[in-house]
Amino acid sequence: MTAVISASHLSKWYGNVLGLNDISLELEEGITGLLGPNGAGKSTFMKLVTGQMKPAIGTVAIRGRRVWNDPEIFQGIGFCPEQDVFYEDMTGSEFLAGLLRFYGFPKKEIDDRAARALDVVDLTADKDRLIRGYSRGMRQRIKFAQAIAHDPGILILDEPLSGLDPLGKRKLIKLIKGFKDEGRTVIVSSHVLPEIEALTSQIVLIHQGQILAQGDIPYIRELIEAHPHQISVRSSDPRALAARFVGDRSIQKMTFAADGQTLVVETHKRDEFFGRLTGIVLEGGIEVDEISSPDDNLQAVFEYLVGK
Amino acid sequence: MAIVREKGYTHWNGQLVERRFPWAPIARTGVRLAFRKKGFKFVFAMAFMPSFVFLVTLYISERLEDFKGFVQGNTALLNVDPNYFKLFLTSGFVLFSLLLVLVFAAAGLIAEDLKHNSLQLYFARPIGKKDYILGKMSVVAFFILILVALPWLLLVVFKLIFAGNFKFFLQYPWLPLSILGYSLLLTVFLGCYVLLLSAVSRNTRYVIVLIFGVYYFSSVLAEILKKAFGSPYMALFSIPADLQQAGAALFGQKLPLAIPAFWSFLILAGICVLAAAVLNRKIRSVEVIK
Amino acid sequence: MSIEVKDLSFRYGKIVALDGVTMRLGEGAVGLLGPNGAGKSTLLRILLGFLVPERGEGTVLDYDIRRDQAMIRRSVGYMPESDCFIAGMDAVTFTSYFGELSGMPRQEAMKRAHEVLFYVGLGEARYRLLDTYSAGMKQRLKLAQALVHDPKILFLDEPTSNLDPTGRAEILELIRDISVHKSIQVLLSSHILDDIESLCETVVILNKGRLAAEGRMADLRAIHYSLYELRIKGDGSAFRKDLESAGSRVEEMEDGLIKIYMPEGADRMDLFRAAARTGVQMRYFVKSRTSLEDLFAGVVGVD
Repeated sequence: MTAVISASHLSKWYGNVLGLNDISLELEEGITGLLGPNGAGKSTFMKLVTGQMKPAIGTVAIRGRRVWNDPEIFQGIGFCPEQDVFYEDMTGSEFLAGLLRFYGFPKKEIDDRAARALDVVDLTADKDRLIRGYSRGMRQRIKFAQAIAHDPGILILDEPLSGLDPLGKRKLIKLIKGFKDEGRTVIVSSHVLPEIEALTSQIVLIHQGQILAQGDIPYIRELIEAHPHQISVRSSDPRALAARFVGDRSIQKMTFAADGQTLVVETHKRDEFFGRLTGIVLEGGIEVDEISSPDDNLQAVFEYLVGK
Repeated sequence: MAIVREKGYTHWNGQLVERRFPWAPIARTGVRLAFRKKGFKFVFAMAFMPSFVFLVTLYISERLEDFKGFVQGNTALLNVDPNYFKLFLTSGFVLFSLLLVLVFAAAGLIAEDLKHNSLQLYFARPIGKKDYILGKMSVVAFFILILVALPWLLLVVFKLIFAGNFKFFLQYPWLPLSILGYSLLLTVFLGCYVLLLSAVSRNTRYVIVLIFGVYYFSSVLAEILKKAFGSPYMALFSIPADLQQAGAALFGQKLPLAIPAFWSFLILAGICVLAAAVLNRKIRSVEVIK
Repeated sequence: MSIEVKDLSFRYGKIVALDGVTMRLGEGAVGLLGPNGAGKSTLLRILLGFLVPERGEGTVLDYDIRRDQAMIRRSVGYMPESDCFIAGMDAVTFTSYFGELSGMPRQEAMKRAHEVLFYVGLGEARYRLLDTYSAGMKQRLKLAQALVHDPKILFLDEPTSNLDPTGRAEILELIRDISVHKSIQVLLSSHILDDIESLCETVVILNKGRLAAEGRMADLRAIHYSLYELRIKGDGSAFRKDLESAGSRVEEMEDGLIKIYMPEGADRMDLFRAAARTGVQMRYFVKSRTSLEDLFAGVVGVD
């Protein structure tokens, strides 16, 4: 599969300040989550991919074509920035139509596309109101509308869900997933990690200008050896359960949670643990309420990799 | 016996006080912040210069013989009487130095709060709009009274000291009252004027431009209108002129403009009323939560 | 009950912001949810003592919301959503200033400011000018000014907005500590359902000015006693067949999650027996509950 977006030794500085340091990666179709602490380089990366800045060293290319100074590429990219800046005195539809003109569409097509984009983000009712009068959520949606109006194959979204209420988020998540199903490529950046998890399991973690991790979340978790897996078992008799596991060398640590019902186990050998768990539970006649892995999520991966 | 205290948040067992002037912290902090600004101390000290110069002339006027050679026949100018006070205290330079001090200390009083959204922090406290405005106004009042009422009243005292007798005071017993009256006029008017402009914009620099701009432009406007319409009433448009007119009236002297002093007072009061209206609208405590 | 309101109503001109909201909130952190324009801000304004309701009455900490507004504001801390600070000040001055405005004597305010700044994690930075603060630090500062006068109720409006994942985790931890260990009632308004889920026991959902749902999360999120969600490792088809033969209905989701509808009165340990029989590992096992998101969607009635 040819990479849709590829970067090779991509670096960028702002004077002395480091933006990105020697980034090389390849992103395939589908949704990729981009995350990292503040100042890690996410916005820099997005600006380089969307051609707003020129790399200091290295290249970034879309389907093999270098992005910088190639206006034709912009036809195929939709960018939804984080900042909330608009032409306040335009109406929603004027705004969209105005931006669409840059792409060189004929007038009739502009109107069609704008109407469709407005419909997709549910702003048809408010299209003739001034953006100045839009609520936070509406502004976010019109931003998204301008990113999709020209039907790009690649969407780059910076904090697309901020400012939306839970239903708005749900709708937008569904929309983005719909794009993925249509074969488009989406890069989403967000600080709210559960929201990235709702969208995708492929991530790129940037820290201090470099890529700290790339790939499938569970797979990355697996690879973090420094932190054994946590498994939490809530049952009728956690101590009996603990007693049966205590001799097991694959277990690193056992903790009883404050609720008195939960046993939290840390182990590097999950397979062994789970393999024995069912048998032990049935042998001991223990009633199990819940089994879960508290640190098998993006927040934990983030914390382990970025550290405190 | 051993005591171990848990680290972290502990509850506060103190009593909340009901202040007589809930806005006092606002005033105090405003003044402190002004002094922290770079260059303010210098400007503030410089603003005392006019009063200091006045003090020197007072001294010279009492010791004319010592300075005969220096003065050389300009003795008429050194006749210290209420008119002399009025001329000096309503002079353009004094007003300019006051504006300069206020520009440092007070231009951002409300503009900064609007810009950084801190009104919501104020009003989540048990203070109301009135307290907020009073507190901010007190900052202006503090600086003006210190630069105006205090030194000028002292000037009268020094005049008596230099003369060595109470003759001056007995001649013009109402002079201190005039001084006080004029100081209050300046305090209230400049307070309203500066707060009005500070509430109009979020950008302190813009407010600074407005403070000087509106003040001096009003004179220009008055001149233009006077030429265009020929009526002396057009001078009312000029804020400096109105201040001088009011000052002259308060010192019981001849009015510089050929119109009743009442109109100048009215204009100045009008601006204060406008300030009250604008402040009332701009500081909407209810909009604390969006 | 720290907050009790009855039949609260308010209108901005023609727009009905709140329409007969009645609720009683007591212990534990409360999450306030609702679509934009549902009346959350209006409700907060009334509870904070800024707005007098047109109809209805209520008390916050036993202070009447119409008559004792100033007293309410003394005992309540508010952490606003938008950025707010005062330029040219350092954190200690800032915090003690607002403590004084809340009614604390000057020395007490200063003392408390230091304590509170250490608590929120700004101890080292407390003498630095606020202009130099990062986003996360500004957020903590907002929390500090809300705590300085030791309020009994804390209103938090989108406390984690604009924070990076580390900052978010840290603020959530602080709020959890405040709510659980420091016996301060927390009222949290947020659009991030994960925050509400991890912090709050009680949820209030507003929609179009009315109360759409109110109650303990555990009660509102219906627990399906015979619906379980699993993840396994091993031969899924054999496992599935085993369960189906025992009368359960098995559904497999696209991401590998398995939903099992057990028949009435069935013993959940049968699932484990089936796993043992078919040599399958149970890696994830929970009783299915309506997610907060689904609860919200169901209650707000759109989609």
